[in-house]
Amino acid sequence: MKVGDYEIQEGLYYTKEHEWAKVENNKVTVGIDDYAQKLLKDIVYVELPEKGVAVEQMKAFGIVESVKAVSDLYAPVSGAITDFNTRLDDEPELVNTGPYGEGWMIVIVPSNLEADLANLMNAESYAEYIKKLMEEH
Amino acid sequence: MDFTHSYLPNVPEIKKKMMEEISVTDIEELFADIPQAVRLKKDIELPGPMSEYEVLLELKQIANKNVSANEMPTFLGGGVWNHYIPAHVPQLAMRSEFYTAYTPYQPEISQGSLQALFEYQSLICELTGMDAANASLYDWGSGLGEAALTAMRATKRNEFIVPRSISPERRSTLEMFSRGVLAKITEVGFDKETGMLYLDELDAKASNETAGIYIENPNYFGVLESQVKEIKEIAEKNNALFVVGVNPMSLGVLKAPGDYGADIVIGEGQPLGLPTSFGGPLLGIFAIRYDKKFVRTIPGRLVGMTTTVDGTMRGYCLTLSAREQHIRRERACSNICSNEALVAITAAIYLSTLGPTGMKKLGELCMANAQYLQKKINAIDGFRAPLFNAAHFNEFTITNLDGSIEDVHKRLLTRGIHGGKLLTNEFPELGETALCCTTEVHTKKELDKLITALQEIGGSL
Repeated sequence: MKVGDYEIQEGLYYTKEHEWAKVENNKVTVGIDDYAQKLLKDIVYVELPEKGVAVEQMKAFGIVESVKAVSDLYAPVSGAITDFNTRLDDEPELVNTGPYGEGWMIVIVPSNLEADLANLMNAESYAEYIKKLMEEH
Repeated sequence: MDFTHSYLPNVPEIKKKMMEEISVTDIEELFADIPQAVRLKKDIELPGPMSEYEVLLELKQIANKNVSANEMPTFLGGGVWNHYIPAHVPQLAMRSEFYTAYTPYQPEISQGSLQALFEYQSLICELTGMDAANASLYDWGSGLGEAALTAMRATKRNEFIVPRSISPERRSTLEMFSRGVLAKITEVGFDKETGMLYLDELDAKASNETAGIYIENPNYFGVLESQVKEIKEIAEKNNALFVVGVNPMSLGVLKAPGDYGADIVIGEGQPLGLPTSFGGPLLGIFAIRYDKKFVRTIPGRLVGMTTTVDGTMRGYCLTLSAREQHIRRERACSNICSNEALVAITAAIYLSTLGPTGMKKLGELCMANAQYLQKKINAIDGFRAPLFNAAHFNEFTITNLDGSIEDVHKRLLTRGIHGGKLLTNEFPELGETALCCTTEVHTKKELDKLITALQEIGGSL
């Protein structure tokens, strides 16, 4: 679905800090959404943790740097990182061109999935949240 | 005494008005918190007002008690070195375009300053054999502190290995830097015969907890470390960074640390056209090997070169600022928010006008003077110079085998010579030893004066 210029992909969970989480086979893939990448503009660097690092829900796990700003990346769920997108090292612009696809960032094996998901928004409520943000700005 | 002068704003009427404003009737009320016991109960005995000329005269008389290195042969070094500063260096550095209390970083109005700093960075890279240099830190000591923190950020470990044979002042700066991050500083001793690092001890102490291994080349005793290949191997084996500290003046004659595998190079830029001035201002050199992740952990300002949007013009601006405090706040990679811009530009002027050939000649001259002095002093009964069986750059140790080196130092002073820095407190294990420094400013006459004086003193001990 679309809110203004921003594509919000259905079937994903979202944080207030604009990370998305895709749950598949007890693994959670994480990235930042279309709204975030459009606000940040050209992304020049993504710093991600190594495999095996433990993350906590809504604690910073990495950094995204654009020509405009530098922001922390927040983990949508707690768990351990089992994979990260090595392509972003040389092609950080993938976050701009495919925020929900080739621009994915990390994969987490969740430790407390059900409870963590309850703290996140689904696409519909996230769309409402973005609408509200757009009205405020 | 209430003294009224049109240039002094604190006259009785103004004082009275200010006190009225804050409802104070007696000035004493403002000092009520200061215990009576510690108060000075009488007037300070100062002479009456003096004219500008009288003040100047008195200050000049006091200043004349100082003896500069130009008036008295001086062999001090150990961190600040007396080199000749060609007249054009301060002349250019003091141009009004550079000479400002604050460094302008707005690219719209500061292309000249930014370009000069970019040139400084490029010259430091060329000299050290590294890929990226920052726009300077405060001094070698802050460079060491920041190098340790950089190594810890890059490796996510918190132990930093340093040799005992480094400057104790720098070592204490490092300890101060590492306190907040709870870093562990591990010391490795030196071989009493060669003055070089104990490789076996280093190999035993380095582990997968070591963030970085540091050496100074030349080390504090002036000794050139010839085991750099082995030290690099130990660092590599443990995935630790190899950090090298240098006197940049030595790099005209010595291999650049980048050529023997250094990951970070630091050093003291003061010899590059800056006066000794009671030990400052100094200039912290900081350069690294290029690695995309690594370059984002470098502390301090970085000036980058770019092109305008239409691609027609070259321009300069601060780059990778996302590391810095004004953007990252408490998660910035370093607390350093400034640099030594004017001092760095001065070093750039010095380096670019001296050139690679000049640096080589100068290094050879410093070394030749040291060699001459070493040989002559070592031949004097009762002295050993140097203590270590190794190659030295422009500094070397002198040991009094028969008595106190401080006594020798005092006797030299009465003969109008300032001898080397005493090491007896810093390195008691070296016995009665001083660190002697020579540069290109020492004439043969001055060197011979020291030799003759030591011969006379040696004979009378």
